[in-house]
Amino acid sequence: MSLSCHGAIRELHGEVEFTVAIAGNPNVGKSSIFNHLTGMGVVTANYPGKTVEVELAETHFGNRTIGVIDLPGTYALGGISEDQWVARQALLDGRPDAVILVLDATNLARNLYLGLQILDLGLPMVAALNVVDQAASRGIQVDIERLSEILGNPVIPTVATRGSGLDILMTQVIARATNPTLLAPRIRYSVDVEAAIAKLEAALSPHDGRPHQLSARAVAILLLEGDPEAGAWLAGVDSSGDLARLRDELFNLLRDVRGEEPPLLLARERHGLSGLIASEVERREVRRPLVVDRLWRLTTAPLTGLPILGLVLAGIFGFLFYVGDWLSVWFNNFWTTFASPAIRWPFHILFGDGIFSKTLLWGFDAGVNAALSVGIPYVLTFYVLLALLEDTGYLNAAAFLTDQIMHRMGLHGRAVIPLVAGAGCNVPAIMGTRVLSSMRERVIASTLVTLTPCSARTAVILGAVSLTVGWEAALGIYGVTFALALLTGIGMHRFLPGRSTGLVMEMFPFRRPAALPILKKTWYRFHHFAVVATPIVLGGSIILGGLYETGLLWKLAIPLRPIMEGWLGLPAVAGLTLIVAILRKELALQLLVTLAMVQHGPQASNLLSFMRPDQIVVYALVNTIYVPCAATIAVLARELGWPRALLISAFTIILALLVGGAARGVFALIGW
Amino acid sequence: MPLPGPTPPTDEMLEDCLQAIHRLELQGQSASTAEVAAFARIPLEAAEEVLRELGRRGLLQIGSTNGTILNLEGRRQAVGILRRHRLSERLLADVLGLPWDRVHDEAMRLEHALTPEAEARLATLLKNPATCPHGAPIPENNGSVAPQATSGLDRIAAGARVQIQQIVEEEPTFLRYLASLGLLPRAEIHVEEIAPFGGPLLVRVGDATYAIGRDVAAKILVQQVGPPLEPQRLRRQRRHGWGQRSGRGTGRGRGD
Repeated sequence: MSLSCHGAIRELHGEVEFTVAIAGNPNVGKSSIFNHLTGMGVVTANYPGKTVEVELAETHFGNRTIGVIDLPGTYALGGISEDQWVARQALLDGRPDAVILVLDATNLARNLYLGLQILDLGLPMVAALNVVDQAASRGIQVDIERLSEILGNPVIPTVATRGSGLDILMTQVIARATNPTLLAPRIRYSVDVEAAIAKLEAALSPHDGRPHQLSARAVAILLLEGDPEAGAWLAGVDSSGDLARLRDELFNLLRDVRGEEPPLLLARERHGLSGLIASEVERREVRRPLVVDRLWRLTTAPLTGLPILGLVLAGIFGFLFYVGDWLSVWFNNFWTTFASPAIRWPFHILFGDGIFSKTLLWGFDAGVNAALSVGIPYVLTFYVLLALLEDTGYLNAAAFLTDQIMHRMGLHGRAVIPLVAGAGCNVPAIMGTRVLSSMRERVIASTLVTLTPCSARTAVILGAVSLTVGWEAALGIYGVTFALALLTGIGMHRFLPGRSTGLVMEMFPFRRPAALPILKKTWYRFHHFAVVATPIVLGGSIILGGLYETGLLWKLAIPLRPIMEGWLGLPAVAGLTLIVAILRKELALQLLVTLAMVQHGPQASNLLSFMRPDQIVVYALVNTIYVPCAATIAVLARELGWPRALLISAFTIILALLVGGAARGVFALIGW
Repeated sequence: MPLPGPTPPTDEMLEDCLQAIHRLELQGQSASTAEVAAFARIPLEAAEEVLRELGRRGLLQIGSTNGTILNLEGRRQAVGILRRHRLSERLLADVLGLPWDRVHDEAMRLEHALTPEAEARLATLLKNPATCPHGAPIPENNGSVAPQATSGLDRIAAGARVQIQQIVEEEPTFLRYLASLGLLPRAEIHVEEIAPFGGPLLVRVGDATYAIGRDVAAKILVQQVGPPLEPQRLRRQRRHGWGQRSGRGTGRGRGD
């Protein structure tokens, strides 16, 4: 559930003694620190219209209650990208008593940029110099005392995945948060920039009510950076226009003197200063690159990168097929032996054996079973793998290698992440399109995700086609679906207005994944999936059960006959199950067998007894392509809005019918 | 009552589209209708109509199958608009003091209103500036552009060390995003790897490594400062040889 950020932060402030915010670049161990500090009671909140989330939690240290705000990982604070905007806004709105700045000890210079911005805002800070172990193994030693002296704030070495240094960090954070005196950081930009800041600062200091109660220096810097919020505040308090004139004068002066726009100039100064600080506190030994680093480079090298990517993808699918399948069988046995009788019994007692009782059992027994037996073996397993790929940094290597093909579809390499996730389950994959920056990219990626066969559709392809017709036909269905997705992507890129944004993405060195963060991430995502999917599956199953038990289902099939029998050449009962499968795709096959047995007797458990191979292929093809399922439509609507969700759904239905009809025609032509 | 058929494109649309095609050509690409429409901020159908009109006015190369290409007259006119655009940006930034991130949008309007006489007087007033506020060169009024000894980052061989000279992008948020990563003019970067099949580049800036898509790399103009560390890799770069200037040497004399 998402809360509004303003409200959630205010509520958090009311419940705790003080709050800390955790800031840092992406993938520097920020979430490891957050996870170590907090338990399961994490609330996510977002700003209206923004998809990047802020996590809030309460924690106890010693005998104190502390509110923790986890900002999105960003390289800078500002209005440039959504994550930067959200990080800046939550930091200013949250008015934390202290900021934990997580620094990557292996890349100090770039990481300090964000730290300088936080110091410019005048916020009390404690820096966690993380992954000091990795830095040491690469021959980098950091003079912690000197760094802390320069930053004017404590610096604590940590290895967050092991939890080492975090107790000292929290002790320092509490000391910093409860001690109101602000230490003066020894951070000064070049003379002309400082002169401009000082002039503006002096002019601003008489004006109270500065935005977020920032210092005059902080607002002066924001104004020179062209910050819109500070600019709006200035326009509000400055009726004479003197301040705005001064700002413009200084802005133009800086530009003329330095030949660069002040916003870029400040970025340059911060980078320069970060580099200077890093070179002063770092001692580097020249070492041969670590074996792990050299091996890691193979993942992006031209000759080895693509074969490794192929192996990784094959590994994911293999793992899902074998481990997922094994778990699924195990879970089903468990359910029919223990859970199902335990659920049936109270319904039996309360409602007897009538239609009402049977209808409810469709939902509470079969429905819950189905949701869990896809959810636990396939979705949960997939999330563990996904977290592993993310935490090692491999996903970025995959994004690097696939950027070109994604580009043809108006996306960039980062879209590979949700597309791979879509092979597990479309619901979390569509949520995962949030890694993309524009709505256009998210619409294209979401459409492609809905065309990606998820584990439920894979179950139908394998169960219906591979078992009865042969694996070649099953492979053919994957081939057709892949080609359709590719063509759809290219077509959407061609016809949707707008253009694609380019790829600029950090590549991370190999990081040894740690169990706890992976499990937490997996649980967090699975929880999201369960919240969206379970009610729909439960409710849908009950409605479906009602239609089935009352016999209304057969009547509903009548208007579909022209399409199912006439156009697709499928038995009416098969068409019916396709409609029903909108609840859950794997239900199509189960229901097909069940209904066929009702109609034709027990020998119908073999599909070939009432369908020809070509019909089975058409059936599986249509089932794979048309609207994924109710839960996917729901999440499409939540992420992209109802009009887009319905358009995407309608598109896939039409595509499925066209392809199904075409396949039937082709099969007839070749006399199969 | 709706008019029969599409409305004829305005002069503004024609000029914007001309500039769009020219800009894409400068990046070594031919323009697709969608890209032209996106640049000129007009609907796709309108862009199609504009391209037809440009063809009727004899500004396009006839018989181009791969996207739209300007002919000599088209290029001359496009450079003229570019000059008016960048002069307008200078006026807006230097004289009128408009904020840095708004000059491009404002100049998109102003550039159409300048007559040749106004353009000449503006250039005199601004003391014939060499570059726009974003650092891009302003073409001379005879249409020639001062040569730059730089090449797009996308044409650099793996292993080379280069210095960023200029970023050809007027979207301020994008410039600032690159700046927050340390990718700004005068920054030195090391091209580590180039993905096959026209994929992105892997570049190192300090201790950080970034993947940069080819289209973004094309907007980053660089000058080579160090030789490729592994010269044998150069052979792989043959297919990017189009229009490549050897970054070494030629650019050294340029003072700015």
